[in-house]
Amino acid sequence: MTHAHHNTRLYVWIWGALVALLVLGMFVFELHLSKTTALVLIFSIAAVKAFLVLRNFMHLQGVPPVLYAIVGIPLLLAIAMVLTLMPDIAFR
Amino acid sequence: MTATSQSHAAAGHPRTLSELPIGRVGMWWFLASEIMVFGGLLGAYILSRIAHGGWTEEMTHLNSTIAAINTLVLVTSSLAIVQAHAAADAGDQKRTQRYLFITAALGLVFLCNKAYEYSIEIHHGFTPATSTFWSYYYGMTGLHGIHVFAGIVWIFALAVAVGRPSWHAIRQRVEYAGLYWHFVDVVWIFLFPLLYLS
Repeated sequence: MTHAHHNTRLYVWIWGALVALLVLGMFVFELHLSKTTALVLIFSIAAVKAFLVLRNFMHLQGVPPVLYAIVGIPLLLAIAMVLTLMPDIAFR
Repeated sequence: MTATSQSHAAAGHPRTLSELPIGRVGMWWFLASEIMVFGGLLGAYILSRIAHGGWTEEMTHLNSTIAAINTLVLVTSSLAIVQAHAAADAGDQKRTQRYLFITAALGLVFLCNKAYEYSIEIHHGFTPATSTFWSYYYGMTGLHGIHVFAGIVWIFALAVAVGRPSWHAIRQRVEYAGLYWHFVDVVWIFLFPLLYLS
C-alpha cells in the first residue's frame, strides 16, 4: 500500500491560499473591469485554485504518467467539443 | 513488478498503475467519467451562453455572496477531509473520525445554503422553466448538489465505520472518499465564476 506524504501544516497554508484567491476573485468581480480582462483574471484565479487542490489535496504529483492521461484525455475531449462547435455558434 | 519499478516505488514515486492500490486507480477512472459529465455540461453552457448573447441580465438575479460563502464552506470541507486522510495514514482513529464528521457537516451546510438560495430565486419567479439560462443554472448546480449529497452520505457512513475496532481494514477508503470530495470541490471552483462572476 502506498501512502501520500502528508504535511498537515502545508494543507492549512493551501487552504489559506484558496480563501485568499476566493477573496481576490470577488474583488476582481467588484472592480467592474472590461469583460475580457475580468474573464481572463477570474478564470485564471479559478485555474490556480483547481491546480492547488489537485496538486496538494488530491496528491496529483509523482503519480504514474498514465494517470495524467486518464484525467487529461476526458478534459481535452470536453475542451475539444467547445472549440470544434465554437465556429458554428460564434460566426453564424 | 520489475526491479526498476520497485526501486521507483521505494523512492515514493510509482511509475506504473500496478504500483498503486487498485481502489485508487478505480477512483481515478470514475473521476475521469465524471470529468466527461461535467465537462460536457459546462461546455454546452459556454456554447449556449455565447449563442444567446451572454445572459448578462439573467445573471444579475443570482446571489454571488451566498455562492462565495458556499465556496468557502466547500474549500474548508476539502481541508477537513485531507486532514482525515492524513490522520488515517497516521493510524489516528479518533482524529480521522472527527475530520470525516466535520467534512459531512460542512457538506450539509453547503446544501442548506444552496436550498436557501434556490428558495429566494423560486420566490422571485425564476424556475427551470423560466428560460434557457435558468434551465442550465438549476441543471448544473442541481447535478453538483446531488454529487455533494452522495458525498455526504458516503463520508458519514465512512465516519461511522471508522469508529469500529476493525477500522484498519477500511482505512484506505478515507483517501478514496477524499478524492471524490476534492473533485466535487474542483467542479464548484469552476461553476462559481462561470455562473456568478462572469
